[in-house]
Amino acid sequence: MVMQSLFIKSLRDMQKSKVQFLSILIMATLAVCIVTGIDSIWKTVELHSESMYAAANISDLWVNVLNPTEKELWGISRIEGVEKAEKRFVLDALSDLENSPTLRVYAVSGKGVLDRPQLLSGKLSSRSGAILDEVFARMHGLDIGDDISIKLNNKWIRFPIQGLALSSEHIYSVKGSTDTFPDPKKYGFIIINEDMLKNAYGRKIYNQISVKLSPGADITKVKTHIFNAVGDDLAGIVAREDHRSVSNINANIQQFKLLAAVFSLMFFIVTALITQSTMMRLVENQRGQIGILKALGYGKKSILWHYTSYGVYMGLLGAFLGLLSGPVIFGKMLIPWLRLNFTDYKISINHSNFIISLVLILLCTGGISLYSCLRLLGDSPSVLLRIKPPKEGSHIFLEYLSGLWSRMRFSRRLIARNTSRNKIRLIMSILGITGCTGLIVAAFTIINMINGIARHTYNVTYTYDHKILLDSKADSRFIHNMGLEGTVQQIRETAAEIICPNGERQLELLTVSPQKSPLIRLKDVEGNPVLLPDEGAAITRKLADTLKIKAGDIIELKRTNKGYIRVPVKQIVYLATGQGMYMSDTYYESIGEIFKPTAILVKWDNGPDWSFLRGDYAEEYVSRADQIADVKSSTRVVYIAGVMLIIMGGILAFVVLYNSSILNFSERIRDLTTLKVLGFYQKEIRSLVLTENTLSVIAGLILGMPVGKVLAEIVAKGLNDQMDLIGNVSFATVVFSVAITAVFALFINSIAAVKMKSIDMIESLKSVE
Amino acid sequence: MSFITFENVEREYHVGGNIIKAVDGVSFGIEKGTVNVVLGQSGAGKTTVLNLLGGMDSPTKGRIIADNLEISGMAEYELTTYRRNKIGFVFQFYNLVPNLTVLENVLLAEEICKDPLDAKEMLIKVGLKDRMDNFPSQISGGEQQRVSIARALAKNPQILLCDEPTGALDSATGRIVLKLIRDAARDMGKTVIIVTHNVLISEMADVVLHLKDGKISDIRYNSSPKAAEEIIW
Repeated sequence: MVMQSLFIKSLRDMQKSKVQFLSILIMATLAVCIVTGIDSIWKTVELHSESMYAAANISDLWVNVLNPTEKELWGISRIEGVEKAEKRFVLDALSDLENSPTLRVYAVSGKGVLDRPQLLSGKLSSRSGAILDEVFARMHGLDIGDDISIKLNNKWIRFPIQGLALSSEHIYSVKGSTDTFPDPKKYGFIIINEDMLKNAYGRKIYNQISVKLSPGADITKVKTHIFNAVGDDLAGIVAREDHRSVSNINANIQQFKLLAAVFSLMFFIVTALITQSTMMRLVENQRGQIGILKALGYGKKSILWHYTSYGVYMGLLGAFLGLLSGPVIFGKMLIPWLRLNFTDYKISINHSNFIISLVLILLCTGGISLYSCLRLLGDSPSVLLRIKPPKEGSHIFLEYLSGLWSRMRFSRRLIARNTSRNKIRLIMSILGITGCTGLIVAAFTIINMINGIARHTYNVTYTYDHKILLDSKADSRFIHNMGLEGTVQQIRETAAEIICPNGERQLELLTVSPQKSPLIRLKDVEGNPVLLPDEGAAITRKLADTLKIKAGDIIELKRTNKGYIRVPVKQIVYLATGQGMYMSDTYYESIGEIFKPTAILVKWDNGPDWSFLRGDYAEEYVSRADQIADVKSSTRVVYIAGVMLIIMGGILAFVVLYNSSILNFSERIRDLTTLKVLGFYQKEIRSLVLTENTLSVIAGLILGMPVGKVLAEIVAKGLNDQMDLIGNVSFATVVFSVAITAVFALFINSIAAVKMKSIDMIESLKSVE
Repeated sequence: MSFITFENVEREYHVGGNIIKAVDGVSFGIEKGTVNVVLGQSGAGKTTVLNLLGGMDSPTKGRIIADNLEISGMAEYELTTYRRNKIGFVFQFYNLVPNLTVLENVLLAEEICKDPLDAKEMLIKVGLKDRMDNFPSQISGGEQQRVSIARALAKNPQILLCDEPTGALDSATGRIVLKLIRDAARDMGKTVIIVTHNVLISEMADVVLHLKDGKISDIRYNSSPKAAEEIIW
């Protein structure tokens, strides 16, 4: 019975201050919603990709070898720590579908156990059949029973589709290293039987050995042993975490882990501040009631729990609502945008972080309530029952600046004193607005940065009309003799194995081009045009950062069929997307390689030469306009994220400003009534209350700018290892954020003003202090 | 016509389902520069009369005219202007702004007026020369009431309305306050209306209005009012 009547009292109290308690609830819900929501994204991605890796029995290393012999395979499988080694053939080939999309061909023996596809339907029932990428098949309307032809060694070979599958190597399926985003219409995989290679190459061939390590094996040691076993035939070793798909997923996971912490932090702090200002006032107002409870004989513990429970209820309810809504709002909405080719997945919840956020939110609500109550509880009932002495006025810091103070109007002085007496409330409002502005600035800046990728890459760096991948028969002289009408630039793009200064081996994209490069205009980090170095390589900034290389360092480059050569890094260049190394053709030949172009870039004088583009020598072509459109469509998710950020900011601003207005107003209702009786007009009284809001809005706007910049940078840094996002907070962003925040603030002020209109002078004057 | 006129003024309140007539057909006139005391038991309607006159409340029926302005039927904004320019209030519980010093409390009133009197002079007049920089919580109740009078006078109003001005004070302090109020009429020509249940205060009034159950039960004209110092309770 005892607890019950106190419980009813707490419900009535909350009902009385419903706006304040609702605010606490909203903030607590948002804080937990953000944590569990963003956590559910990476947790789902992590758990599901791991389950796919396990189901596929994914390799730990892929060793690219020019033509592995049985002896090399045997040598590798005998290395200590290697559990299993299998050979296979991997190649990107064109298909006969519209726009000749590329398929990564995996030619495997029927007996392999590593890197198994996850069959969704059908199975490889004959040697001549193929298993096709399910997502790719769906995009092209293909199904089991249809045929598909792929071009191997310049021969079109037809395969009946016998199964559809997903692959753990193609969860994040990006073609080549120049593409930034997955596009299942243009790229997929196909699995065929190794015997079918005979039709194209005349014999079974291999170019890759998949290696599974035993648990606890030393990967560096194994790599060195493989290096010794294969020798000059080695074209590169790719560890699992360096695999494009795997590394991208891992980067996503890391990024979302960070975002969960960064974005929720503000909401936890604001929850604590709102609780503090609400409970402080509630407990102050109820000092008499606390005295009565004590006089009635309620124990210290039950009174403490009574007031703590206000916060605990809000915190528990908020955590529960956050747990329900977060995974739906964030997980369900955003995971599809990651474009991962997952088998059916369930949204996973990160229970341990939920528990942490639950504890945190209970500290911010219940803990703060307890603290507010503890201050009063020490007093004896007789002290509490006595009428509270009126609040003392006190001099504030500003008054010591006598020049300024004496010039201030008295109503302004009143605002200043009142504000400085309620610093927590001021901090709460400023922080709320800082958060709001920060989120809006971050949203716009991220959108700008992403839009900058298309602009920078395809308007500043690349200026061609078409990029044409050449058939292997086309050589430099041939291209020259074609006499294409326009500016033509020949380039060679290869994956080159390098050893970084810190000893790490990496496979990176190397682009070789004439030093005079009319259609790829490289710029340094400051934006000044640069030429390819005479001797040595240029490297893009993001890659240089990832590999910890700086200008002046020396890397070792593996040459075709030869050993390594030392190459100085002469220049760091900025490229928004498509990270890699650049080298001039003359330097490339001077280290003993042959400059055979793999692609040409063309800026046509009189429109495209369609007969060349559709002819035998052009294996594939893409227009710059299409590339821009691709990037734009792939980055649409950023607008959704941007809107989500702005909405969160709006809620934050609304809750803190509305709360601080109402608290400010009801705390001073007696003063304000006196002023009203003295003849202050409604708008003058309003300004006494709302000026504080204006001050915190201005302070919050100023503080919000750097916060937004930092948020945007954190997001940009982890977004994608192929994108190097730059972008400062632009003038337009500042204007927009100020405008949006100001609109929010004005809206809240007008709602608060309506609430204030209802001062009943007579009633308020009757009450005795 | 009198400086202030009440004509058949009624004020009804709805409390629960009942209608309560706090003021029930009151008519009287008040002359400029006089001291008037409205006497009555609690619930007699005297505070309602004061609120109506001060423009804090509007009558349900009847007319109220003050200084040639008909304030019955005025809108909220006009009533505020009326309070701002014509009325000075002295409350039972002083109603000082705790966050402003004594001087600032007076200056605050001055800030909104067209033709204010000097705040410091007013404070010297009420004997608070040395208290100007104190906050209200640092001075006694009598001193706070003097600040309240200084604040009301600094606005230079035509009408000074006092609601139980000595209600929270001991008699010695009360006399000082009453003298200040009396002097406002004598020396400054203000029209003073004091609402009280304290019969003794009526001895210093020029006119005494008795209110009972929302009606005027008696009006007495005092040809030789006592000085404030002579009142003892």
